[in-house]
Amino acid sequence: MKTIDCRNMACPLPVVTVKRALAEAAGEPLEVLLDEGAPRENVSRFATNRGFLVQERSTEQGPVLLISGNPLAAEQPTAKREGATVILIGSDRMGDGPEELGRLLLKNFIITLLDLAATPDRLLFVNSGVFLTTEGSEVLEALEKLGNRGTEVLSCGICLDYFQRKDKLRAGAVTNMFTIAESMLQAGSAVRI
Amino acid sequence: MVRDGDFVALFNSIHRVMKAEKELKARGLPILLIPAPRALQTECGLAIRYAATERVAVEDALAEGGVEPVELYVKRDEEYVRIR
Repeated sequence: MKTIDCRNMACPLPVVTVKRALAEAAGEPLEVLLDEGAPRENVSRFATNRGFLVQERSTEQGPVLLISGNPLAAEQPTAKREGATVILIGSDRMGDGPEELGRLLLKNFIITLLDLAATPDRLLFVNSGVFLTTEGSEVLEALEKLGNRGTEVLSCGICLDYFQRKDKLRAGAVTNMFTIAESMLQAGSAVRI
Repeated sequence: MVRDGDFVALFNSIHRVMKAEKELKARGLPILLIPAPRALQTECGLAIRYAATERVAVEDALAEGGVEPVELYVKRDEEYVRIR
C-alpha cells in the first residue's frame, strides 16, 4: 500500500495530490497523512464523493486517511465516464458582445460549476483567461472551492508572462502548452469557452 | 458561495444588478455578483452577496444610488429567510 504525505500543503494541493495518487494507484488502497482541519475535511469529502471508502485514524503525526475501493468497478457500464472533462477558458469573457456582459457571464459560469453534481476534472486558462486566476479576480474563492473538489486549475505560463502576472497567480498552478494540448486531446470531453 | 449569515440581494433586471454592482464597487465595498441561489426565483438569475458586517454600508449605497433590491434575503441554517 502506498503512503503519501500531504502535510504542510496549501489548499487545494492536498486534494490535487490525492486525486493523482488515486489515479496512479489504480484501485490499490492509499494512505494519506494530512494536516488537521480543512485539508483533512476536503480530502475526505473528495474521496467519499468519488465513491471511495474512507477510514480515518489519529496518529502522533496527525490524522491519517485510508482510502480504498475502486469506484469504477462499482459503476454501471452505462454510467461509465469515458475520460476526463476539460474546460479551456481562452478569454476573460464569455461569448461575443459587450465586454461587461461577457465578463459577468464567465464569472457566473465558473461559480455555477460549483452547483453541478460532476465538477470538471481540469480547467485550463489561456490568453486573457489568466486574469481569472490572478490577483484581482473575483472567482478566486470559487476556484479554490473547485480545487477542493478535485478540479485541477492550470494557467498558461506564456500567457502569465505576456500579461506580466506570473507573480500574481492566486489559483492553481502554471502549465505549459504540452500539458494543455495533451489534456485537450486525451479528454473524454473538452469544452472551449 | 453563500455562507451562513450572508445577505443576498435580488434585482429585477440585468441592468439593475449591474448598476448596483458598479455603485458598490465604486465605493470599495466587498461584494460579489453571484448566480442567484436556485432556491430563490429571480428574473435575471443574478444576485449580490455581502457579509452581515457590510450590510449598512451596502444598503445605504444602494438606496443612494437609486438601485434598491426588489428582494433581500439572509441565509440562516441553510435556508434563505426573506427580510424584504
